[in-house]
Amino acid sequence: MSTPVASDTLFVQHFWKDANRNLSYYLESMNGYQAAKRVLTEMTPDQVIDEVKKANIRGRGGAGFPMGMKWSFIPKNSEKPKYLVCNADESEPGTCKDRQIMRYIPHVLIEGLVIGSYAIGCKHAYIYIRGEYANEAKLLNAAIEEAYEKGYLGKNIFGTAYSLDVTVHRGAGAYICGEETGLLNSLEGKRGEPRVKPPFPAISGAFSCPTAVNNVESLANVPHIIRMGGDAFAKLGKIDKSGGTRLLSLSGHVKKPGVYEAPAGSLTLRQIIYDLGGGILNDKKLKAVIPGGSSAPILTADEIDVVYDVEPLMKVGTMMGSAAIMVIHEDTDLVKLLLRITKFYAHESCGQCTPCREGCHWMESILHKIIHGEAKPTDLDLLVDVAQNIGGKTLCALGDAAAGPVISFVKKFRPEFEAYIKGQKRYA
Amino acid sequence: MPKCMIDGKEVEFTAGENLVKVAKRAGVEIPVFCYHPGLSVVAQCRMCYVEVEKMPKLQTACSTMATEGMVVKTNSENVKKGRAGTMEFLLLNHPLDCPICDKAGECDLQDNSYGYGSAYMRGSEERRTYVDVNMGPVIQKNMNRCIHCTRCIRFGDEIAGIHEMVAIKRGNDIDITTIDGKTLQTEYAGNYSDICPTGSLTLKDFRFKKRAWMLKKTTTVCEGCSKGCNMEIQHEGDVIYRCVPLENLDVNRYWMCDEGRFNYQHTQDPTRIIEPKVKAEGGWKTISWEDGILGIKEEIDGQKPTFLVGSDLTQEELTHIKEYIALQHPGATIQHFGTPGLTSTQQDGALDQILRMKSKTSNLNGAEKLGIAPLMNDTIKADTVVVMSAGRAKLPKINAKRVIAVGVYLEGDASQFDMILPGLAFSEKDGTIVNHQGIEQKLKRAVLPRGKCKSLSEVLMLLTNKKARVGANP
Repeated sequence: MSTPVASDTLFVQHFWKDANRNLSYYLESMNGYQAAKRVLTEMTPDQVIDEVKKANIRGRGGAGFPMGMKWSFIPKNSEKPKYLVCNADESEPGTCKDRQIMRYIPHVLIEGLVIGSYAIGCKHAYIYIRGEYANEAKLLNAAIEEAYEKGYLGKNIFGTAYSLDVTVHRGAGAYICGEETGLLNSLEGKRGEPRVKPPFPAISGAFSCPTAVNNVESLANVPHIIRMGGDAFAKLGKIDKSGGTRLLSLSGHVKKPGVYEAPAGSLTLRQIIYDLGGGILNDKKLKAVIPGGSSAPILTADEIDVVYDVEPLMKVGTMMGSAAIMVIHEDTDLVKLLLRITKFYAHESCGQCTPCREGCHWMESILHKIIHGEAKPTDLDLLVDVAQNIGGKTLCALGDAAAGPVISFVKKFRPEFEAYIKGQKRYA
Repeated sequence: MPKCMIDGKEVEFTAGENLVKVAKRAGVEIPVFCYHPGLSVVAQCRMCYVEVEKMPKLQTACSTMATEGMVVKTNSENVKKGRAGTMEFLLLNHPLDCPICDKAGECDLQDNSYGYGSAYMRGSEERRTYVDVNMGPVIQKNMNRCIHCTRCIRFGDEIAGIHEMVAIKRGNDIDITTIDGKTLQTEYAGNYSDICPTGSLTLKDFRFKKRAWMLKKTTTVCEGCSKGCNMEIQHEGDVIYRCVPLENLDVNRYWMCDEGRFNYQHTQDPTRIIEPKVKAEGGWKTISWEDGILGIKEEIDGQKPTFLVGSDLTQEELTHIKEYIALQHPGATIQHFGTPGLTSTQQDGALDQILRMKSKTSNLNGAEKLGIAPLMNDTIKADTVVVMSAGRAKLPKINAKRVIAVGVYLEGDASQFDMILPGLAFSEKDGTIVNHQGIEQKLKRAVLPRGKCKSLSEVLMLLTNKKARVGANP
């Protein structure tokens, strides 16, 4: 397998140069705003949605829901205003791909927002950006200002009847505000707590109006879809049901961590780690991989010959999530790592639903006891049982996110936990 | 009508009904904490799990609407495990203080723990504790007992119309409290205690007074205003311990105001006059019923005294008074009084957006229906005045030679009177009242009359008799 050639990638070649974020670069080197112009002057909203459906693009935020389908759920004849909200909360640990887009090519996101807003009939789009991305929020606002000046945003874009405003809304730093309904509550100025679904945001979202919530990378792909056509975009993907390329956030014990891009389903996890990432740091042995952000169940070193895409990963009991791959080498203490991950979810639990509020903290306490040699032998099974009582039983996906790692870590690396419980290993 | 199957029973439902309601009709109880029929659905407590065919995960019955042909299981192994899991989570941090908790015996957490939880605790962690804030005169807070169902927050936002209860912090540290730790402002604070599924918000008035299971319950109607909220008087022996609202979707839905809730207190006030009394030099002199009745007869027999009747009396009492006057004092004036400045149902209206009405007496509508004229001024001038009321009607200023009072009065009310015959309060009698909507509702006797109080009917009968023969107390 060769390293993907530049023509297969849509984004990475534009990263890492500060000058690229200017409108002039976007216009000259990326055919900037031509797709939006074509959409607004030649296409109907339905044609746009059809094109996106053809492109087979899955949402890039974590759930992987087909994007065209999501847009088509927005009711056409509703009298309420409609909203497009860009989810730039990028809160799943290990994920750093959206940041690259916003930092280096913000205009591709803005153009995506224009096209998406036109498709669903939105007059005011929001970008909800995580509080920690202070600099990115500044850059986005600068780019939005540029776009307003040139008439790509605001009243009568490209001389058409269509007008759009875009507002950047900064979060205050909460994992749960990456969950789409938690995000909407936060956007409305309420506590960042996920809502009961149904009603889904497509029917009652931001300010109780029909709303589409899309990830940064998803929206940034939309101009490419329009430019190359849905079918061609779909063909970029090398696996059924997944079109286009994926940005991969590779971190942990690899020689070359960073954000990579590869056609969807074109690489196995092994190829990503060894070909893109250059192998394991200090040439150590690979121990495990967390393949889709910290909430994805862990894979052992023997399980990495799996094609890196939604369905193959689901078959081996984990998930692609936000395509954040964390590589773990042999010297890593997985008990400590699990405690750290669990602590994160316990801290980020919003506290509204019972299993997550009580259970995540309980799991953290049990792990704490294990690591300090205070646990009973039965505590390991208790830990797994608690995780099972959380998984699949909570209001939003945070419960599953917290339970998945616990169950998979204990299942696959049980002796490491037992070593602590038996006193063979001490916390250092 | 569409139908669905719940535990093998076919049940009809109307569109938009959730599974908790539909199951209840099928005789299947689904345990809930955060769900309340009068509040929005949040599906937070995760207690009402059910299994719905073709859905892989357990569903929360409160947020799942019944659909045609839906097959629901509420008692499968999966459901049992889910509920036991939730119970275990909730009890992980709940103190084991039921023996000193006012909610014990009527506590959802306790009941559901017996029904769906385990008798054993697997956790050995230290429990979470909080420092409590003072919530004002009505509600006692004990945050350690809270299970974060957010019913109180939603009650404030959606019913009381005041955003005073909030959740602060998050995750395991989440705290349900008032904004900036202020005291509660709503006039409906007692409801916070009713809807709290644990002993986290209890009534200060009821605190440590009685175990819930020792209370007898009498269904009756509040006499606090012309709304006529349905409620239960909870009492043991002849002592009332509290009043709680009952569901009546046409009148008060699930709620009642604090004024009505604590209105029972005046019936047990130590200064309530519960023996016939006559004004004597330097104060009041207690007299026998015989002397009282004979004294009044002497004053009014053959005369035309002015009768002032409170619009807090029942239809039966008012009718009896009218008949008595027609027979004994034909042509005498009879006027009703109740709320200063409010003389007719047309002037009556809502005092707020929730329940309370302007008329502070319960039967203004009934008195009007019986054709009794209102007292137009706040002062009355007459030779002899007979006042009859049940304690809720606000007395006018009486300018007369002799004032005879029959009914419920505190010592503070009595300065204008020359003689008092003690009557029955709303909690001590049966009767009918007509609320502002024209709905007739029944008062029910919950406790025996205090002291030597007698019913108005008995007093009128005694006054009608040629010779007063007074029996023992009823």
